[in-house]
Amino acid sequence: MDLKENAQRSCLQNCLLDMGALLLDCGAEISRVEDTIRRLGRAYGAERLDVFVIPSIISLSVSFPDGEVLTETRRIRSTGSTDFYRLEKLNALSRGCCVEPLPLEELRKRLDKIGSGKKPVWAVYVGNAIGAFGFAVFFGGNALDGLTAALFSLLISFLQRRIGRTELNPAAGNLILSLLTGLGVGAVTMLLPTLNADMILIGDIMLLIPGLAMTNAIRNMLVGDTISGVVRLAETLIWAGALAGGFMVSMLALNYLR
Amino acid sequence: MKQILLQLLAAFCGSLGFSILFGLRRRYWLPSSLGGLLAWAVYLLADHFLGLSFLSNLAAAAFSVLYAELLAHLLRCPATLFITPAILPLVPGGELYYTMSSAVSGELALARAHGVATLNAALAIAAGISLVLAVREIHARRL
Repeated sequence: MDLKENAQRSCLQNCLLDMGALLLDCGAEISRVEDTIRRLGRAYGAERLDVFVIPSIISLSVSFPDGEVLTETRRIRSTGSTDFYRLEKLNALSRGCCVEPLPLEELRKRLDKIGSGKKPVWAVYVGNAIGAFGFAVFFGGNALDGLTAALFSLLISFLQRRIGRTELNPAAGNLILSLLTGLGVGAVTMLLPTLNADMILIGDIMLLIPGLAMTNAIRNMLVGDTISGVVRLAETLIWAGALAGGFMVSMLALNYLR
Repeated sequence: MKQILLQLLAAFCGSLGFSILFGLRRRYWLPSSLGGLLAWAVYLLADHFLGLSFLSNLAAAAFSVLYAELLAHLLRCPATLFITPAILPLVPGGELYYTMSSAVSGELALARAHGVATLNAALAIAAGISLVLAVREIHARRL
């Protein structure tokens, strides 16, 4: 495809940036984001693409065959969430476009549609509940511990959605979540001493722990995206610290009450 | 033996929960949750023969990536969709919890041991994943 008009060229640039931002928002790896933008840009006739992505910014220069260069950066507010539903759609869209580019207006429309589509609410509640049950049992709890962990996961899902809407920073969000969960589980296990507080808490911690983000951070570093890796690692260490802080305060408070 | 089977089923259940949470399409639920079960089975096997949790984590993570790459090839979708649920049972949630609870009860030596184990596991998982991805990259570029 050969884009001559300026409006079309800036539309392409916008689409590329949106594609990158959406991919980051879904939890895609840095190398995938850069690679997708590069391939997509080439498919639409750009001669050269200089892309630099870190978790908080996308910088993109598109050079066209006649020598014109468009440069733009986009600030990204990452939440560290994972959304495979949109990731798969974006991947299919970019693959299709690399083989046979859609008209730009159509690409624009599809990106907007994927961007506004969210995974269903029930997926958060059901997923968290099954996950908490599974991991409470996995780490040595019995069925009752698993069910209690699943029950508290509903509270976590509810609070996560509320906190997500307020755009509170993730560290503060994790602190509140872990504090409330720790207090709640502690209170219930005081009333019902047959439950194993340890296993219930571990099941719920698995929902909150940025273990995946941390693994991805180290992975980024090992494949050469060092800056992104360091940024993400620092982020996840702070989140994990907040998480641990919340749980520890709740444990101390409960120890004091006993 | 019964204990192991129960734990494998629990790993399946945990991975299934996260597959749903991450918005994976319904037809991928079974293969992605099976990945968690198999990864834990590999961990247990490696642990039995090697007895080193770092190497066992590394082997299980490497297996997860191979499994995910195979599925991605068969189903024509990104491998990430299957890597993430598969490595979840390896994530050291238990160790992290015991780090905190020992620290709160004042047993600092124990807290340090659990803390080191947590970091060890995270590093081993990342190394296992990167190892396979690096080999694949080398293969793809025909070096």
